[in-house]
Amino acid sequence: MFDILKGTWTDRLLLLVSLVAIVVGWIMIQAYISSGPAMADIYHADTLVATYPLPQKGEPPIHLQVEGELGLSEIVIDEQGARIASSPCATQRCVLSGPHRHAGDMVACVPNRILIALRGHAESGFDAIVE
Amino acid sequence: MKQIALPRPSLPELESKSRWLALLMLAIGLHVFEASLPSLGPWFKPGLANLVTLLALVLMGQRAAVTLAVGRVIVGSFFIGTLFTPTFIISMAGGLSAALVMIAAWRWIPGISLVGVSLLGALVHMLAQFVTVEFLFIQQAALYYALPPLLVISCISGWINGALAGYIAGRLDHEKDSHEKI
Repeated sequence: MFDILKGTWTDRLLLLVSLVAIVVGWIMIQAYISSGPAMADIYHADTLVATYPLPQKGEPPIHLQVEGELGLSEIVIDEQGARIASSPCATQRCVLSGPHRHAGDMVACVPNRILIALRGHAESGFDAIVE
Repeated sequence: MKQIALPRPSLPELESKSRWLALLMLAIGLHVFEASLPSLGPWFKPGLANLVTLLALVLMGQRAAVTLAVGRVIVGSFFIGTLFTPTFIISMAGGLSAALVMIAAWRWIPGISLVGVSLLGALVHMLAQFVTVEFLFIQQAALYYALPPLLVISCISGWINGALAGYIAGRLDHEKDSHEKI
């Protein structure tokens, strides 16, 4: 079993090429989206519906409703990040995925065609980690 | 009353069909199991059902692999209640693309083992899902922000699933040889 895990030279070469391509792509994407203040872009299908800055500690949360394919999705942007609070979709995976705050994170509800994409540098990014 | 004699399938044909059906049942079970797992990401699953497609490819050929990939998405989606929903379309795109790429890699890349085939299958599975979502549902390039970390996880899961498939295929060959000797 463990011998099989090693793979052949071709397998290892494929893994190396894949990982290099992924890491280069990742670095390029992060360089593109990490500059500037932390913002949440909210999309419906091919339309940018709204852009909001992520509130810092003590700032009031932002509540908004976005009309999607199935109905209204309720979006909350607070100091913990951006999340879908309620959705008319059947699986509710978007609601269960909780808040996201870091550049590159996203919350998507595919059935309702809603996407929240985060970009920019969040000042209090790792406030959930304690020593 | 005149009786119509139906042609009887040969024993090897029946054996082949029963083996394909056993793999299909296993793939459907894994598809349903994966759907019940807590989500690691918007479209991320460990790819265990893809492992069965890979086994079908190695043991029974490319046609069996493609029909199994399509069959398990249709029947599996029926059981989890997502038939003909966006989730079904995304699963079908991922499963079918992965099956086709795994067939091409197995046939045409020299020196590749099941580990490499599975690695490519896992990467294409993830990519195809993102492309499908961007093409059909949310036409935004921002979707791809989340792709690189998911591709790294796909590399790991694809590699492990390939090793598992290699181990299982080896064991099945060994069992077959033992039965033939008896």
